[in-house]
Amino acid sequence: MAAAIETEGLTRGFASGLAVDGLTFRLDPGQVLALLGPNGAGKTTTVRLLDGVLTPHAGRSLVLGFDPTVDGEEVRRRTGVLTENAGLDDRLTAAENLTYVARIRGFGPAAARRRVESLLERFGMADRRDSLTAGFSTGQRKRVALARALIHDPELLFLDEPTSGLDPAGTRDVIALIDELASGGRTVVLATHFLGEAGRLADRMAVLHHGRLRAFGAPDQLASEMWSGLGAELDLGGRVDADTVGALAAVPGVSSALAHGDGVRLVLDDRDVLPRAVAAAVARGVPVYGAATHRPTLEDVYFAIEQRIAAEEGGLATDAFASPDPVGP
Amino acid sequence: MSRTPVDRTAVLTIVGRDLRAVRRSKAITVPMVLVPASLLVLLPIAVGLLARNAPYDTVQRALESSVLDRLADPILSLPPRERLVVLVLGYLLSPLLLVLPLMVAAVLAADAFAGEKERRTLEVVLHLPVTDRDLFLAKVLSAYVPAVVITWVGSLVYALVANAIAWPVTGRLFLPFTQFVAMVVWIAPAVALLALGLLVIVSSRARTTQEANQLGGAVILPLIFVAAAQASALMLLPVLGVVAVGLVVWVAALGLLWWNARHFTRDRLASAG
Repeated sequence: MAAAIETEGLTRGFASGLAVDGLTFRLDPGQVLALLGPNGAGKTTTVRLLDGVLTPHAGRSLVLGFDPTVDGEEVRRRTGVLTENAGLDDRLTAAENLTYVARIRGFGPAAARRRVESLLERFGMADRRDSLTAGFSTGQRKRVALARALIHDPELLFLDEPTSGLDPAGTRDVIALIDELASGGRTVVLATHFLGEAGRLADRMAVLHHGRLRAFGAPDQLASEMWSGLGAELDLGGRVDADTVGALAAVPGVSSALAHGDGVRLVLDDRDVLPRAVAAAVARGVPVYGAATHRPTLEDVYFAIEQRIAAEEGGLATDAFASPDPVGP
Repeated sequence: MSRTPVDRTAVLTIVGRDLRAVRRSKAITVPMVLVPASLLVLLPIAVGLLARNAPYDTVQRALESSVLDRLADPILSLPPRERLVVLVLGYLLSPLLLVLPLMVAAVLAADAFAGEKERRTLEVVLHLPVTDRDLFLAKVLSAYVPAVVITWVGSLVYALVANAIAWPVTGRLFLPFTQFVAMVVWIAPAVALLALGLLVIVSSRARTTQEANQLGGAVILPLIFVAAAQASALMLLPVLGVVAVGLVVWVAALGLLWWNARHFTRDRLASAG
C-alpha cells in the first residue's frame, strides 16, 4: 500500500537554527497521526514542509504520492489545512471567506455557493453566513475555518490545534467530526497540545523535540517498549493491610503490588492475570468493589518520552511531566 | 518560475477577494479618497480661482523671459487672459496626478502581504493550490488595478474641475491636451507598476503593515519627489518626448517586476515572518 505520507531525513533550518532535523516516518492512508511536542518543536514547520509551503534544506518527502517540493500545487489540491489561528479575513463574511477558497479549489460559482451553504449548515453557521467574521467568537471562527479546510473534501487533513479556544460542547463536536473523517478513510495529521483529544483519535503518535523526531509509532507499541507489564487497579473499599498486598504480589503473573488509596495497584504480565488477583483477594475475605486494567494512555506515553528526553539532555522535567509509571499518578 | 499556464480563475478570485476586503477597510479607503479629493478637486479649485483672477501681464513677462525659452511656447500661443489659468491648471498642477498611482500602489502593496501577515490570513493563502507566480501576479494586480483606475477616474475628475474653473476665462475645454492624455494613459500606469515592483517585495518581507509602510515610504518618497518635480517639465515636452520617458519607466518597471517575480517564493514569504 502506498503511504499517505513518507518522509526521509526531512530537514529545514531558519536563521535561528534547525526547525526540523532529519524527520523520517511513514503514515498509511486512513491513519490519524498525533503530532506532539512543546512549542517550537517543529510541528508547524513539518506541516508547512509536507504541504509544499516550505522547501526542505535536506531530505525528501512524498505526500499522497507527490513530492511537495516539485508538485506543491498537486499536494495542496488534495490536502486541507486548518491553521492554529482560524485565518479568517475579518473584512469578509463567513460565506465570502469560504467562497473564494472554493473558487480557487475549482468549484464553479453555483457549485461553490451550494458547497458553502451546505458546510455552513453542517457546522451550525448558516444563520451567520452574511455576517462579517470580525464579530465571531473563537468557536465560531474555528467552525468556519474547519468548513474551509473541508470545502474540497480533501484526502489528507492537517489540523493544527483544532479544538483550541472551543468550549466543551464545541470540542466534543470537533473530535466527533475528526473521528468521522478518519472513519471515512481520510488521513489526518493532528498537531495539538491537547493530549486527551489526541489519545482518543490517534492511531500513531510522533513526538518532536527541537525539530527531531524522538518517538514515532502506535501509542500502545510505544508504551510496550517503555514499560513491561500492564497496569491494573483493584478497588478494595479501604486501606489494605500488608498481608493482603503480599498475597496479591504472590499471585503468579503479578510482578508488583502496591497499596494505593482504597485499594492496590498491580503490574500484571497480561490482562488474564487480573481475575486470579481478584480471586486471591476474595479468598482472603477482602471485598473487591472494582477491578480494571489500565493501559497507558497517549498522555502517559508522551510525558514519559518528554521526561526521558529531559533526562537525556540533562535538564529537569517540568512539573507537568507525569510519572512514567504506566499505572499513572 | 512556473511554466504552467496562468490559472486565471485563481488569480482573479484572489484579486476579487482582496479588492472586496480593501473596499471595506476604512483605514485604506479613507486616505485613498481624501488625498485624491484634495489634490484633484480642492487644490485646483483654490489655485484655479486665484489664477483666473490674477493680472495676466505679470505672467506674460515671466513666460517671455529666457528661463523657459521655447518650452513656454504652448502657453505663449494662447490668448493672454488664458495663460495663467492654463499654465497653473494644465501644466503645473495636473502632473500631481502622478502622485496618485504612487500613493495608491504604496497603500495597497503594503496591505498585500504585510497586511495578510498582520491579520494572520497569509498562512491560509500559502496553503492554497496556487503557484508562486500566480500568487505574485494576483497580489500585484490587486494593487495595480485600483492604482490605475483611481488615477484614471481622478484624471477625469481633475479635467472636469479644471475646465469648469477655467471656463469663464477660456470659454472652451483646454483639458485634456495631448501631453496630459499621454501622461495619464501611458506614464501613470508605468509609474504604478514601477512603484509596485519596489513595494510588493518590501511588503512580502515586512511583518506588519506599519513596517511595510515605513520601509515603503523610504522607497517611494524619492519617487514622489521626482514625479512632482519633473512632471511639469514633462508636460512641456513634445508628445514623442513624453512617450519616450514613459517607455523608460515601463522598461524599468517591467524589468523590476520580472526580477521580483523570479525571486518570489512562498518559502521566502513563509520564512519572513
